[in-house]
Amino acid sequence: MSNVILSKVNKIYGAGRTGVHAVRDLDLTVNDGEFMALLGPSGCGKTSTLRMIVGLEAITSGDIHFGGVRVNDLEPRERNVAMAFETYALYPNFTVEENLAFPLEVRGVPADERRRRARELAELLRITEILTARPPVLSGGQQQRVSLGRALIREPAVFILDEVMSHLDAHLKFQMLFDLKRLHQELRRTMIYVTHDQVEALALADRVAVMSNAALQQVGDRNALYNRPTNMFVADFIGEPPTTFIAVERCDRAGAIELRAIGADIVFDVAAERASALDAHGGRRFTVGIRPQNLYPCDHDPRMAGKVVINEYLGERSILSIVTGDVTLRALVPPETRLAPGDHAGFSLDPRDVMIFDTESGVLVA
Amino acid sequence: MAGEAGFEHRWRHVRLLFLAFLGLWLLFTLFPLYFMAITALKTTAETNLTVPTFWPEVFAFGNFAAVFAEATNFDALVDSFVIASLNTVLSLVLGTLAGYAFARFPRQAGGENLAFWILSNRMFPPVAILVPMFFLFDSTPWGTDSIWSLVILYLVFNLPLATWLMMVFFRDAPPELEEAAYLDGWTPFRAFFRITLPLVLPGMISVAMLCWIFAWNEYLFANLFVGTDVRTYTIVIPTFTHGSQTLWNLQMAFSLIAMIPPVTLFILLRRYMVRGLSLGVVKG
Ligand SMILES: Nc1ncnc2c1ncn2[C@@H]1O[C@H](COP(=O)(O)OP(=O)(O)O)[C@@H](O)[C@H]1O
Ligand SMILES: [Mg+2]
Repeated sequence: MSNVILSKVNKIYGAGRTGVHAVRDLDLTVNDGEFMALLGPSGCGKTSTLRMIVGLEAITSGDIHFGGVRVNDLEPRERNVAMAFETYALYPNFTVEENLAFPLEVRGVPADERRRRARELAELLRITEILTARPPVLSGGQQQRVSLGRALIREPAVFILDEVMSHLDAHLKFQMLFDLKRLHQELRRTMIYVTHDQVEALALADRVAVMSNAALQQVGDRNALYNRPTNMFVADFIGEPPTTFIAVERCDRAGAIELRAIGADIVFDVAAERASALDAHGGRRFTVGIRPQNLYPCDHDPRMAGKVVINEYLGERSILSIVTGDVTLRALVPPETRLAPGDHAGFSLDPRDVMIFDTESGVLVA
Repeated sequence: MAGEAGFEHRWRHVRLLFLAFLGLWLLFTLFPLYFMAITALKTTAETNLTVPTFWPEVFAFGNFAAVFAEATNFDALVDSFVIASLNTVLSLVLGTLAGYAFARFPRQAGGENLAFWILSNRMFPPVAILVPMFFLFDSTPWGTDSIWSLVILYLVFNLPLATWLMMVFFRDAPPELEEAAYLDGWTPFRAFFRITLPLVLPGMISVAMLCWIFAWNEYLFANLFVGTDVRTYTIVIPTFTHGSQTLWNLQMAFSLIAMIPPVTLFILLRRYMVRGLSLGVVKG
């Protein structure tokens, strides 16, 4: 077992003006035994990062250490990492059992021992009934389990999964998420799980590293990402439905600070302890972010009010879209809320739930 | 329903048309074979009739033995077999390595243009290089009249084809499979032999067939290059034509015998060939 430390890692494909800077100055530490998710939209450099970790892609600059050992110049087979591919990459002309045992074969494990371990793992992954089948006839979910099994069988120091659930339907995904979490709790391996789906990342990982545009945005647990996003990208990317952003202007009156929405009649109070952060930052214009979960329907003296335009019923919750002035707000409300399009609705919120960002850089101010 | 009946009806027409076409095609391809076979069984007198017979009056099975009256005629078949087989092995080994390089490391291997240039070597008329090649091989220590001359010369035609086809087959074999094998602990060399090569094996077998048949049937260069120490069967066939007459029956008998090796190979390997030739077309 070992931790994984990436320091100032860069990946540039090609060279010169046509070069693609796929990973930029990435610093990331994955602790021993930790389940880390690497989350980001498609094309942000997640796969490139993984491929550098496992050794399939040369590192343009920077260092990668496994348990204190610099691995930059080690071949993939010397790094003791295992990876489950997005495309599963099962060997089509081997049976499932041969696929599972393939990593053991090169290590000189005797045939009967290989068989025993393959069967053991098949039991853990619940694929014993397909051991003699060949991959092309298996369903997506079965292939996925086999590819997990092949990665797990040789007890790697670091276990890496690249978008392994993106081709599964929702029901199967739920089952696999559960199984994966259980596997991690049993095996306590260092795992890096790559996904573009925040639900998977938040459900599985001890910590989530959010990437965008080739750069790391924030690393943290669910609470940190949710309540203290470092910038507007994270605030927008994490949370479903997404955060509402409102342009505001600072107004000082009688010692207290208010943020007034531009183009709508909404006023946000700023608590005294956050006012100093605004003072330190300077400037008058900010962007406020509000999570739909943090708006509460309120008929008496609401903070903001507007006209309902859409009521999306999602079963256990409803999403209301409300228009006030130039601003469209989203609010997550209990499903029994009886508000139809055209109705007037008022909302209140806890001032501590208001996130204040710098409009230009997108960085969280308070 | 009326619509369905109309549909059935149209299908019947298409089927008839198809069968008619198939019949015509069979006539054109099978008739020469048929005539070859019956000619091989005729007596020399019967082959010279002004009005040809379409069934031998007497079956002269002795023709098949008579072609070997000249003992070196059998050696010619052996020489052809050795040349074709050696050339096929060389084409496959070199073509597989080059095709792999073009498929996996296109930039390092010289890029698409180089790959296409290699294929284009197959496109000029062979006769254009007949004389230069003769002088080239004449200056080698073993001269033109040697098995090695033809084994190497035929690479000019077979290697481009083998390289190009193997490149296409390797492109269809997902690189992730090799990468997965590297992570599983295998060296690139062993991963290639255990994982990728079996995937392209059907393709390789079809390439082998194409190379072998080209080398087996080649006449133009063989006729100029060899003839004394080495003889290919293709240059034996014209020897049944003498100044005054052609021994059609012996010529056809010998040709039929020469057809046995490729036909046997084809029957043995046809399952792989069909899979190999569709490998580049059908994606999983
Ligand atoms: N082999 C490659 N050559 C050139 N560009 C590449 C290569 N692989 C990925 N890229 C580019 O690098 C960027 C990041 O890709 P990737 O790491 O696959 O992102 P993700 O896995 O997050 O979707 C993309 O713009 C992609 O087009
Ligand atoms: Mg990816």
